[in-house]
Amino acid sequence: MPTPTYDAIVIGGGHNGLINAAYLARAGKKVLVLERRPILGGAAVTEEIFPGFRFTEFSYVVSLLRPEIIRELELPRHGLKILPLPSTYTPLPNGDYLAAWADHDDTRRELYRHSPRDADAYDDYARLMVRMAMAVKPLLALVPPDPASLSPRDLLGLWKTARYAAGLSEKDLYALAKLITQSSADLLDDWFETDALKGTKSASGIIGTFLGPRSPGTAYVLLHHYMGEIDGAFRAWGFAKDGSGGVTASITNAARALGVEIRTASPVKQVIVKHGRAAGVALENGDEFHAKVIVSAADPKRTFLQFVEPKYFPEDFLTQIRNFRVRGSSGKLNLALSELPDFSPRSPRAAHFLASITPDPLTLYRGAISISPSIEYIERAYDDAKYGQPSRRPYIDIVIPSMIDPDMAPPGQHVMSCFVQYVPYDVEGGWTEERKAQFAENVISTLEEYAPNIRRAIVGMQIITPADIERIAGITGGNIFHGELLLHQLFFLRPAPQWADFRTPLPGYYLAASGAHPGGGVMGAAGKLAATEILKDWK
Amino acid sequence: MNRYDVLIIGAGHNGLTAAAYLAKAGKRVLVLEQRPLVGGFCVGENDTPTLAPFPRGILRPDIIRHLGLERFGLNPAPASTDLISLLPGGRQLLLSADTAKTVDSISQFSKADSARWPAFIRFMDRAAAFLEAAYATPIPRLPRFSLKEGLPLAQLALKLRALGPQDMHNVIRLLPMTAKEFLDEWFESEELKAAIASLGIHNANLGVMSAGSAYNLLHQYLIRGGWGQPAIDSRQVIAVLESAAKAYGAEIRANAEVTRITVENYCVTGVRLTNGEHLSASSVLSSVDPKTTFLRLVTPEPLDPAFVWQVQRIKMRGVSAKLQLTLNSSVHPFQSIRLSASSSATSSVSPLESVRFSASSSVFIIAPSLAYLERAYDAAKYGQISEAPYLELTASASSAAPSASSVSPSVAPSAAPSEFVLTVHFQFAPYFLKGTAWDDSTRAILERITLDALHEYIPNLKSQIENLKSLTPLDLETAFSLTEGDPHHGQLMLDQFFFMRPIPGYANHKTPIEGLYLCGSGTHGGGGVSGIPGRNTAKTILKK
Repeated sequence: MPTPTYDAIVIGGGHNGLINAAYLARAGKKVLVLERRPILGGAAVTEEIFPGFRFTEFSYVVSLLRPEIIRELELPRHGLKILPLPSTYTPLPNGDYLAAWADHDDTRRELYRHSPRDADAYDDYARLMVRMAMAVKPLLALVPPDPASLSPRDLLGLWKTARYAAGLSEKDLYALAKLITQSSADLLDDWFETDALKGTKSASGIIGTFLGPRSPGTAYVLLHHYMGEIDGAFRAWGFAKDGSGGVTASITNAARALGVEIRTASPVKQVIVKHGRAAGVALENGDEFHAKVIVSAADPKRTFLQFVEPKYFPEDFLTQIRNFRVRGSSGKLNLALSELPDFSPRSPRAAHFLASITPDPLTLYRGAISISPSIEYIERAYDDAKYGQPSRRPYIDIVIPSMIDPDMAPPGQHVMSCFVQYVPYDVEGGWTEERKAQFAENVISTLEEYAPNIRRAIVGMQIITPADIERIAGITGGNIFHGELLLHQLFFLRPAPQWADFRTPLPGYYLAASGAHPGGGVMGAAGKLAATEILKDWK
Repeated sequence: MNRYDVLIIGAGHNGLTAAAYLAKAGKRVLVLEQRPLVGGFCVGENDTPTLAPFPRGILRPDIIRHLGLERFGLNPAPASTDLISLLPGGRQLLLSADTAKTVDSISQFSKADSARWPAFIRFMDRAAAFLEAAYATPIPRLPRFSLKEGLPLAQLALKLRALGPQDMHNVIRLLPMTAKEFLDEWFESEELKAAIASLGIHNANLGVMSAGSAYNLLHQYLIRGGWGQPAIDSRQVIAVLESAAKAYGAEIRANAEVTRITVENYCVTGVRLTNGEHLSASSVLSSVDPKTTFLRLVTPEPLDPAFVWQVQRIKMRGVSAKLQLTLNSSVHPFQSIRLSASSSATSSVSPLESVRFSASSSVFIIAPSLAYLERAYDAAKYGQISEAPYLELTASASSAAPSASSVSPSVAPSAAPSEFVLTVHFQFAPYFLKGTAWDDSTRAILERITLDALHEYIPNLKSQIENLKSLTPLDLETAFSLTEGDPHHGQLMLDQFFFMRPIPGYANHKTPIEGLYLCGSGTHGGGGVSGIPGRNTAKTILKK
């Protein structure tokens, strides 16, 4: 038996893999990270697709990255710089708009214009959501206990969870229970009457899921997106300098500084098992590396159904992994633009009002622009997708990175990142070139309704469907969360019951990515928690 | 001194169950019913044979035992009728309590699925048994409760653990799933999945692709007692409960509409009737829905605004309509289905032998595919009547009630022997229509859609119709006091389940008003003719 050359090998150089490796190295372990692609970052990458235009290809905003990780790995020292997104602007088909600004009073004025009642309710709503997010946060940092297990560790975990629940007030506990089980549409209908406000808010409840805003369970996803913070500012969203690749670069630098060895262009073929333990990996080119511990930062399906021979796992477990829902539902359209799209309000009254909020007409382009005029709009977008079609009128979340970070595009020109939902992985007839063109056309013609000059401004276009996410970033099904944030795929059920503690039925083999608790987004929690568990098991 | 210990508002199955339990324990009970006849929505207008939201029902076995309902004429183990899914091309899929028969039928669609059926039934039975235990568990207020209150919860948790890790996880996983996801894990045949999934949307404002429809599926499975439906007309259940309650000493007064629950110092003092009469009692049980109870019968003054807000938010959102077709025909309408089936089914699928025997007493559904059901629901999302609805059909000869032998003569209708009555459950027909309302023209649309849909399966139907009556969700509200026409008194959704039914903190049947209890379907364990909430409330009161 060859002596292990490394203490641990991490498969996958996405943010979770790198964070996991960094924490292991921080504890003095000798760690190797193997990345399939020539570049690191997984779904958090920035690439120059057209000369001079740098795209945040997949993930495009930051918020959920755990502050303790930023602190402990000293990411700012390694180059992490987050530029806050100051606003969310929702243009409306009637030429009006709704916007939320960094300044609370401005947001209130905007809302008041649409509905005084909603303006009043807004603060209470925001307080409730922050309280709820605070209430859930401790669970994110907890290794989920298995309620069916009688092991001391799980019983202790259950006790901790029960104590945590008992520590909430009755009101908060009930509010949380409602929030976890209801639909984002029901939640928002209870609070607000303005369609544009409800549409824009409900959009956070569908991201990465294959459910419409009227389906129960989406309110939790909405809450998940409330858990971000930047520099202690709760629920703020931002854009990293150099895009998501900038986040990756800072984590990479931190990991390297801690002694992590990283090899790119090294696709793993199989995990080597010796004496019933994961003992190494074999690359597709035949190279082998050995280590005491193998960590997969790939999605659960690849981790368990592809890298390891099925004989090492119980049949029940494999069934559960096969049943794990990874239906990709979103895509991206990354545009290189010769000029700024014109999203300014068509209605003179609305334009006048916008000018009273911000004299600089470019301000709105520094924030997010959301095509989400109403809940019904998004629900209809979902209806197309559930029958196997890309939405004819999709929900689009737009950021224009070049407005925030001029290094992203040639001077005077722009890159625009459009996150689009719904784009089903299983599209009728498969993802042919015509299908992709049709998807792009749906997006562009939708955008044209709000920014008439968009078509002529396009000088380059990158179309990313869930099938492309699967092919390029290696995420099965192209689901951005490695598995939908559905109630039956959360906490002690993520990715499979009994195995939510980052361990797997194969000793020495661990899961450390979004498909594990607490799930997706550029969050890093899974990578860190897995490292903690691995170190606990270290003998 | 009050003449009664307990007043019960509403003589539906839950009101009567509670009355029988309480009277049996020696309480002086008076049940007040606004309609001229008892039975709530188990009994149709003017006692029409089957035009009631719940044509068939089954009480939980422990209720039958405790109340000795067999002595009052209830068959404790009724035969179960088959559920037959009508499919395009004259094919049929049969789901029956008889596993062998079902396996045989499924094997025409998928051999793999027929092999999995017995395991599926085993799982469903275990899951339903757990759900039943959950419904029987008194729910304390969370999060801080006494040891004594926590004991039943601990016992429930042990029952869950006793399922073993695998089934335990599967039961927990099931609840928030979509019916489609849940069934995708078991089966491959679209026809089979759709037939089962129809239970998941029955009376629910959910689609088969909405999260939580798997819970509704399990609930319906439990309440119906497995596959098919019990062959007991729910009017028989009512007749038996009525005689039991009376035999134990409860009084029942019909035509007695309560206008107000009177309250003093946050304690209930009695009820006032429309005729001005005031009845005093220290306990009042309301079996009407929570919205009616708190927003109409109790003046809002004694209630905390936050509580009222929560009650207002209870989701009712009825989506079902009922139609009744009186057919002038000497042939049972379901025999006509068979004829159309055998004539149109060429050599590809042989007619099902088993269907032949049970057709006339069976329940037929039109739920040919998951996409069909989902599209039917899509309409409801946007406030429209489904153009291609999910239908459930029952039929009987109108000269005799389905179980004539056991129904008391008072409720047995009499009609000409050559007539049949076909009852149709229609989904989705939402209470809230967008841009229009329930009136004669929308009713005409509802009836037209129904007849067109039926025509495909029973071609000669239209010519036989002698009389057509329909109940829209609005009719259900006006005729049966069902707010928004929701027969469940509140949607069976996960955010209105367990300790959140009817609203969080009040799943123990108690209310902010001392002495006022909720015992209807809108409370913990409710939804369907089961008697569970009535039983639970009576037990809560008797424990005091």
